Amino acid sequence: MSDTNGNSFFSVKDVHAYYGESYIVQGISFDLNEGEIVALLGRNGAGKTTTLKTIARALDPKLKQGEIYLAGQNLHDMKTHEAAQAGVQLVPEDRRIIPGLTVEENLIIAQVAPNIGWEIDRIYEHFPKLAERRKQEATSMSGGEQQMLAVARALARDVKLLLLDEPYEGLAPVIVHEIESILQEVKKLGITTIIVEQNAVAALKLADSALILDTGKIVFKGTAKEVLDNKELREEYLAI
Amino acid sequence: MNHIFLQILTGLQISALYMLIALGLTLIFGTLGVVNFAHGALFMLGAYFAVEISSQFGFGVAIIAVPILLFIIGIIMERGLIRFFYERPHTDQILVTFGLAIVLGEVMKTIYGANNLPFDIPKWGSGIVRLHEYLPFLEGFVAYPKWRLILIVVSFSTVISLFTLLQFTKFGLIVRAGMRDSQMLAFLGVNITRRFTIVFGIGSVIAAIAGLFGGPITQVEPEVGMHMLIPSFLVVVIGGMGSLPGAVLASLILGMSISFTAEYAALQQIIIYLIAVIILLVRPRGLMGKKGLME
Repeated sequence: MSDTNGNSFFSVKDVHAYYGESYIVQGISFDLNEGEIVALLGRNGAGKTTTLKTIARALDPKLKQGEIYLAGQNLHDMKTHEAAQAGVQLVPEDRRIIPGLTVEENLIIAQVAPNIGWEIDRIYEHFPKLAERRKQEATSMSGGEQQMLAVARALARDVKLLLLDEPYEGLAPVIVHEIESILQEVKKLGITTIIVEQNAVAALKLADSALILDTGKIVFKGTAKEVLDNKELREEYLAI
Repeated sequence: MNHIFLQILTGLQISALYMLIALGLTLIFGTLGVVNFAHGALFMLGAYFAVEISSQFGFGVAIIAVPILLFIIGIIMERGLIRFFYERPHTDQILVTFGLAIVLGEVMKTIYGANNLPFDIPKWGSGIVRLHEYLPFLEGFVAYPKWRLILIVVSFSTVISLFTLLQFTKFGLIVRAGMRDSQMLAFLGVNITRRFTIVFGIGSVIAAIAGLFGGPITQVEPEVGMHMLIPSFLVVVIGGMGSLPGAVLASLILGMSISFTAEYAALQQIIIYLIAVIILLVRPRGLMGKKGLME
């Protein structure tokens, strides 16, 4: 993580975001190098998901102040779909697999807009489970398989910044391991990633660096190891 | 036999018109989440344009021109007014679209007056069809107005075309996905708003078709949109808000029930509301309403 004001690959500058009248993200700034994986940690309600959605330029929360840059493009002026075309891919909480569509249709939908990533055949090579179920209604799959599809769907796009929101949430420990190994594979691709996770230990295993958020402000920036070694920090903000 | 057959045919014909209007209504609701009370007014405009254009240039020209006109008007309506109400509560949407319906009705009243405008059925569609000549199970002489049969055919063809568009094309896939989770589509880079604007235009085209073929049967006067909207809205609610198959099924149920109560005038007046109450008591989301969709 570089705190310089130079030209980082991804950079968030004094971002403030609101849900209606609620002031959730209260002026956060950080930079990421290309290929860096950061764990965004903090208690429930600290503003982690809101931060991800703000970066992905969701209509709600509203970005009222601040700047966001990805590979020289200013995301803060973009609409949701424009940010996605610029390379931001949010794998949301609850995975948001589209109901009523097959596995394959969920992947096709990801390749409607320009800047396509992996071809669908390549996705099937890497995720043979999805290939087996290509004609199945996607929401009838297990939670783990749906998470796999959610990650695959992001890879179907030309992703420059991957935002993972609670990828392990609601999954059985065995399945968590499976998703972990998928994310380790994704890590090898060198995609810049922000991972939000209640399971801080699992997130830190994957991450190079960590940010801790508390009531909408960043209270810690450092390496993943620094968080794991700092008992006080873990107890105060992470309860681990 | 003859009697029941004719009642089924009449039921189909009543369904056909409600189906067309309800289809546009539920399509727009299912995609944009807007309760468009101006949809009846689009039907009314379609009927007026059909009268005007077919009297000047013939019905053949009207069949092409009216849907194009309504498509353009629909797009202008969505971009110019309705899109500003997506984030607002349904009550606001109802108020603004209801207001728009009144304005459009008044504009037509100023231009054409409040009376019914005569709508001449084109020559190829007038007269009767001697059904007993085609259907051997009918006894004696059974005839039915040709135009009403045409309306049934046009209506079901429209339904089939719309389903084909939605089920078997890429545009349809995007729209169906957008109906379920439009935000996720935006996260995947899809400019779903643009697709939804086109959907609004398609809904308006269906209203144009209803105006073209239904106009000669209903009436062409400023209030006709509102008169058609209320039962069509009922169809949408009974079918399940946003469900296209539901709208088809519900319009058939309502059409048939109106047709089969024809001998009991008092019952016929209330039958559709009675059915609505019963169905909604048993299935509060309507016949084919999906959980989590538009709630």
